[in-house]
Amino acid sequence: MKPSKLLIALFLLLALGLPWLVSGEGYSIRVLTLLMLFAAMAQAWNIVGGLANQISLGHAAFFGLGAYTSTILLIRFGLSPWLGVFAGMAVAACAGALLSLPTMRLKGHYFALATLAFCEVLRAIANSWSSLTGGPVGISVPFVPNAGIGLMQFNSGRPSYYIMLAAVVFITWVYWRISTSKLGYELRAVKANVDSAEVIGIDTARTKMLAATISAGLMGACGVLYAQFNFFFDPDSIFSLVGISVRVALICIIGGIGTVAGPIIGAFFLLPLEEIFNATLSNKGAGVSQLAYGLILMGIILIEPRGLQALFQKFMNRGRS
Amino acid sequence: MPLLQAILDGLMLGGVYAVISIGLTLVFGVISIVNFAQAQFLMVGMYVAYFAWHFLGLDPIFGSVISFIVVFLLGYGVQHLLIRRVLKAPEVAQIFLTVGLLIVLENLALILVGSEFKSVQTWSQNESLEFAGLIISMPYAIAFLASGVAGVMVWWLLAKTWWGRTVRATAQDPMAAKLMGIDPEKIYRMSFGLGVALTAFGGAVILPYLTVSPSVGEQFGVLMFTVVVLGGLGNVLGAVVGGLAVGVIQSLSGLFLPLQLQNMVLFIVFILTLAFRPEGLLRNKS
Repeated sequence: MKPSKLLIALFLLLALGLPWLVSGEGYSIRVLTLLMLFAAMAQAWNIVGGLANQISLGHAAFFGLGAYTSTILLIRFGLSPWLGVFAGMAVAACAGALLSLPTMRLKGHYFALATLAFCEVLRAIANSWSSLTGGPVGISVPFVPNAGIGLMQFNSGRPSYYIMLAAVVFITWVYWRISTSKLGYELRAVKANVDSAEVIGIDTARTKMLAATISAGLMGACGVLYAQFNFFFDPDSIFSLVGISVRVALICIIGGIGTVAGPIIGAFFLLPLEEIFNATLSNKGAGVSQLAYGLILMGIILIEPRGLQALFQKFMNRGRS
Repeated sequence: MPLLQAILDGLMLGGVYAVISIGLTLVFGVISIVNFAQAQFLMVGMYVAYFAWHFLGLDPIFGSVISFIVVFLLGYGVQHLLIRRVLKAPEVAQIFLTVGLLIVLENLALILVGSEFKSVQTWSQNESLEFAGLIISMPYAIAFLASGVAGVMVWWLLAKTWWGRTVRATAQDPMAAKLMGIDPEKIYRMSFGLGVALTAFGGAVILPYLTVSPSVGEQFGVLMFTVVVLGGLGNVLGAVVGGLAVGVIQSLSGLFLPLQLQNMVLFIVFILTLAFRPEGLLRNKS
């Protein structure tokens, strides 16, 4: 299904205009920026999770690798984050390729377990290798007043928002290109039946590895953008299972795994909802909004694991008959 | 001698790992679900034992029985209300339902009991056994023994009783089992309950030498999965061998690595097993 040009234009118009409806600083623009970032991350996850149906529970690993790479390069060598994006992408892509060597033949639960464990180990390393990463207390991006565009630091919230928007557009474009290319069809063949895919001459290992590498690299780039946006992170928050890995997958599930619009729909649904929970429930004590988050996840799985788009279609069909 | 001592320590740890992992492997073997929330049931078991000690003055070794019963009922309900609904769903639904359960259990604990670390005081904590120059601290020895007893009982239940036969039949072929008059739904509920209850039991018996907090499950998650993958997912005997092996590996790596990096050694073992022996070290399914 080719997304209609009208819908794309409407989305872009809305996305470009949104930051001007709210104040340039403060809470609202921050939420919108994170919304775009998570849509981009979910789209990167979608390349492996959606096209090849390899469910990763460890994408925070690549996100964190990107963030640490650019931040350490910036602190140690003064490398501009604009170049850091490419460095972070390269490191994360290498990690993705390396991890896929032992995991590319794994399916379903086994793949999910292996990716989860990989991320846990990176978290342990980041926590214990204090001389490089700053250890459990975290690491800060040095803030230079009026540094401007060269260091990707801004006085207003809007430029960051547009950077994230550009990431969404770029990663969605990559996803779209892959899904309509030879690689995309090969990935779908792998998803449908690995053995048959082998028989018709697809190098399934190479195909999966390529997708995993691209997905990891894009995730790494998102990590760099997050580090520059948030100015601070620690191992437990950046390599977080629930906060990053599960969340990006959940966004895809809500919107519809393996659809080009899924991650964007999911992000527009989940992040505002989370903010409402945080605003109304956080005074009820630690854990309440997280509990609600877990309940949403289980609810969506039980009601319609194919997400909102499928739910909408079901609803429309019922109305027609 | 330090080497021998480390191996002995590892075996003591490994006995407990075996029991908590039997629960995980049992759930997979019978219901074909990988329960990502398994380690959170361990946390629940630890809390039940902690409160049994706190309010009733029960030693965790007896509290573990209460943990077992409470978590069995909890698991029975979870299977009936939640897991049952995704048995035929795509894998992604199965994975994320139990991940959701993980988040819910951890945060429920956080809301109900708070984030502070809690621990018990028992008579055994300052005692130890000495044998030919080797030392075993008493809480470890007790936990090991209790795990051994629980392990033997599970083996007896599965291998020697009529109920065990119905479980094995259901695990092999639910359809055929149904034709023989077995209700697979019932077996699934009992097996999930038994699986998580065993893990909770293991959590209770290690309480004397650990502290409990809502996030304690996180340090056991990767560990348990390493154990069951080593032994072969669904293989109960494999979980015992895997548990002992992981205990010894952890203890030996502790000789030359900082505590946080012991997980890395486990991960390498885990990945290598998945890559080269995905069916586990023991080939035969029991």
